[in-house]
Amino acid sequence: MDNRRIITAAVGSLLMLGLVSGNAMADDKKMDMEKCFGVAKAGKNDCSSNKSAHSCAGQATKDRDPMDFVAVPKGTCEKISDGQLKKM
Amino acid sequence: MPVLHDDLSDFADSIVLGLGLSSKVQPFCPKYPVETALDVYRNNYFGNLHDALAYAYPVIEQLVGKDFFRCLTKQYIARHPSASGNLHHYGAEMADFIAGFEPAQGVVYLPDIAVLEWACHRAYFADDGPTLDVGRLLKIHPENYVGLVLHVHPSSHLVRSSYPITAIWNGHQPGANCDFHINLDSGPTNALVSRTNNAIIVSELGEADATWLQIIRSGVSLGEATATVLECHPEFDLLAALVNLVARGILIDFTLENTQ
Repeated sequence: MDNRRIITAAVGSLLMLGLVSGNAMADDKKMDMEKCFGVAKAGKNDCSSNKSAHSCAGQATKDRDPMDFVAVPKGTCEKISDGQLKKM
Repeated sequence: MPVLHDDLSDFADSIVLGLGLSSKVQPFCPKYPVETALDVYRNNYFGNLHDALAYAYPVIEQLVGKDFFRCLTKQYIARHPSASGNLHHYGAEMADFIAGFEPAQGVVYLPDIAVLEWACHRAYFADDGPTLDVGRLLKIHPENYVGLVLHVHPSSHLVRSSYPITAIWNGHQPGANCDFHINLDSGPTNALVSRTNNAIIVSELGEADATWLQIIRSGVSLGEATATVLECHPEFDLLAALVNLVARGILIDFTLENTQ
């Protein structure tokens, strides 16, 4: 099959299926209309958990950064196989 | 006005660089010593930017742990002052920063995860796009399909990596099974970012599909893009790619190439 025939067949088939997904996406669009215009990520739609955008919570006056000496990753990366073995 | 500007610059330097205030600035601060008040302000500044970064890079934070992440963000914030009034724009240079951050060198895939997380962050705040107008497509004569130029949703991104970043990202989402087994040597991946119902989805895209989408994104016609991909990837299944990308709302619109 040449390129033109592949494309004609694929788009033709998509059109037959596309009517279905087109309808499904209309719902998506409705959902999008309900979005609070980028105020918070999904599931974090309240002031307190979206501190990054508008923090009203005061930080402590003491220096929060005593870990300059903590230079070793200590998170889930330890669980990814070979993750620590590659270069260290 | 120049006086106010100078005063504000002086104040900003004091906050960002940790310098003392010059004598001509006289803050009104009846209850505390000025230095204490500046410390509070400075900690709020760093704390807010730290939170903004933690909000944009939750997977990085889990991967390296909270302490390491705070150490990382402290140095990032010192080098990258916020350049926008919108904190959601803060953190764009994180991948490059991590790549040059000596203590993180052992976690070789970390910069790619940062690229992916920033793509997800941007995807969340990207504009809405239209949905593919099937009725309009039906009016195009099949002879002209090769000249279709397909448009991609503004929230869609493609991130290529030598590491299994899709699996790593998905293993760190809320509700994911944290007992994951990921082999770093499982080969290169293409992570496809999209947004559906305000949720960010990251899924793996095969090499042929990813190459095709990359070419399509650059504005090349359907005919040319498909021909190019079929040369290197004879197994490429155009229909499957179209169905997948239309159903996920990634292909949203089209125009016709003039030359057709």
